[in-house]
Amino acid sequence: MFDETLALTNRALKKWVRNPFTIIPGLATSAFYLALFGNSFNPTNLVPASAAQYTAAIKASILGTTFSGAPTYITYLTAGVICLITVFNMSFGGIDIVLDRQLGYFNTLLTAPIPRAAIYFSGVFQNLAKAMLLALLTFVIALAIPNGLELPRTFGVLEFLGAFAAFGMLGLGLSCVFTTLALAARSIDSLIAVVNFINLPLIFMSSSLFPSSSFPSWLMAISNVNPISKADEAARILIVNGTPGGQTGTFVGDMVYLLGFVVAMGVLGYLGAARAMKPE
Amino acid sequence: MTKIIEAENLTKVYKGKVKAVDHISFSVEEGELFGFLGPNGAGKTTTIKMLNTIASITEGRASVAGHDVARSPGAVRDSIGVVPQELTADDELNGMENILLAARLHHVRGGEARKRATELLKLVDLDGSAGRRVKTYSGGMRRRLQLAIGLVHTPRILFLDEPTLGLDVQTRTKMWEYLGRLNKEQGLTIFMTTHYLEEADGLCDRIAIIDHGVIKASGSPAELKSRVGGDVLTIELTAGPDITGFLRGLPDVSDVVKKDQAYRIKLPRTEKALPAIVEGITRKGLEIKEISFTKPTLDEVFLDITGKSMRDEDADESESWVQNIMTERMN
Repeated sequence: MFDETLALTNRALKKWVRNPFTIIPGLATSAFYLALFGNSFNPTNLVPASAAQYTAAIKASILGTTFSGAPTYITYLTAGVICLITVFNMSFGGIDIVLDRQLGYFNTLLTAPIPRAAIYFSGVFQNLAKAMLLALLTFVIALAIPNGLELPRTFGVLEFLGAFAAFGMLGLGLSCVFTTLALAARSIDSLIAVVNFINLPLIFMSSSLFPSSSFPSWLMAISNVNPISKADEAARILIVNGTPGGQTGTFVGDMVYLLGFVVAMGVLGYLGAARAMKPE
Repeated sequence: MTKIIEAENLTKVYKGKVKAVDHISFSVEEGELFGFLGPNGAGKTTTIKMLNTIASITEGRASVAGHDVARSPGAVRDSIGVVPQELTADDELNGMENILLAARLHHVRGGEARKRATELLKLVDLDGSAGRRVKTYSGGMRRRLQLAIGLVHTPRILFLDEPTLGLDVQTRTKMWEYLGRLNKEQGLTIFMTTHYLEEADGLCDRIAIIDHGVIKASGSPAELKSRVGGDVLTIELTAGPDITGFLRGLPDVSDVVKKDQAYRIKLPRTEKALPAIVEGITRKGLEIKEISFTKPTLDEVFLDITGKSMRDEDADESESWVQNIMTERMN
């Protein structure tokens, strides 16, 4: 099964890389969120001009207490935008699967002597690979933006890998869900309708853009179990602090939660996908 | 000869309502080129999908290469090559990459895969375009590439669903040549669906005519044509009363079917019957607008069996954008 999964994943990635127009919108979304949203919705902009003599202290206080101690809002936002890009990529990545079905390629796979699981997992992994590459580029964009991502000195390779492990587990879990939805969908319209119904609330009910501590209690409760918030939090701990330090327990808890999310979505996703790939 | 495909009372009902295939039975001998002839919507593709394991069988049974389709779908998939109606080769990959991917999915690897791909690209005259991305291929080249993809793992049976759909006459002839060579020289069993009469007539050893999910007749093209029972004369009058009864009463006329002002007359001995028919019509003071005469063709057979000529049906509206993409790929 491994070889067939690899072959199909390779096919999808070759198609993706050879068609740069499909990559550019994803990168543009990252850049817009970081550069435009990050500056226009920067909460420290709300400090009134009349408090000029206290501005620096208030800004530092807002970021320090509410925004996880991030030196800039974009530093806080980077993990959230990477999660957001991951969600978008996973949710709309299934369009290629629906297209394959509608244009007949999917049937050629179903008549080939390959395990159905290879078709499913190639869908999962191709979207994950695309999302992780975009996540990496988003990270670079965040670093390149003036007054953007400011990493602590203690942020090294291990911290980088830890943050991306959190993004990767979020992506993997979501990819399992959205690949199954794509396999079950019979038209792009129906897939987009379902995806929009899921992904927008999922993003807004997370701590991607603003800390959940500023949410009303009911929304905070939802945000606290949202896997996006868990990935956000785990990655943000490393991006802002460099090492988990006193937040090691939270970091480990988030990673275990994300691992559970991947396993649960993997099992449910595969069962759903096997059903969706049964003969008509 | 061994029966390599067998279907007994094969039936497919979609969503419990639409009966696409209705209790059909047939068999295909090993090494045979077998054609499924019928108009769009007749049940050809559904039959091929059931035999290819991608559509479930509602009732009846089928075996392919000695394996029960419902019980051993994996073994069936190991034995078959499928060339679908749609143009499914990847636009962003080149011809060689498309074949090598198919080879890998059929467990043909390494040097063997590359050797086979090179041979097949040569067979379908695409060896000069192997490194070009498929999006630069014409519709004919894409169809030829698909044929090569279907053959990469040397299947025992090749299923082709409308293999020449949308091709120009020259490319179609070329495809027939490839298929004929594969069948005659390599002994490959081919099961193909088509709604092109001349394709079925010129290429197939045996044909089954299917309409509305039912096999109406089967046999070699010559056997089927002999069923018509002679030549067919079509006379269209400018106006006048119904003369079906009069025509039927003439000697050497075996059957008459009227449609509007045209009479389709079956003649076992044309040379004897024709003068009497023309003379009789003239004597009745009726004016002949048009007269035509045909030797029995498969269209005549289809008309004879189903009471109508082969027809095209519109694609489902929801799939029209897919048709547009396919049309684009054909250009």
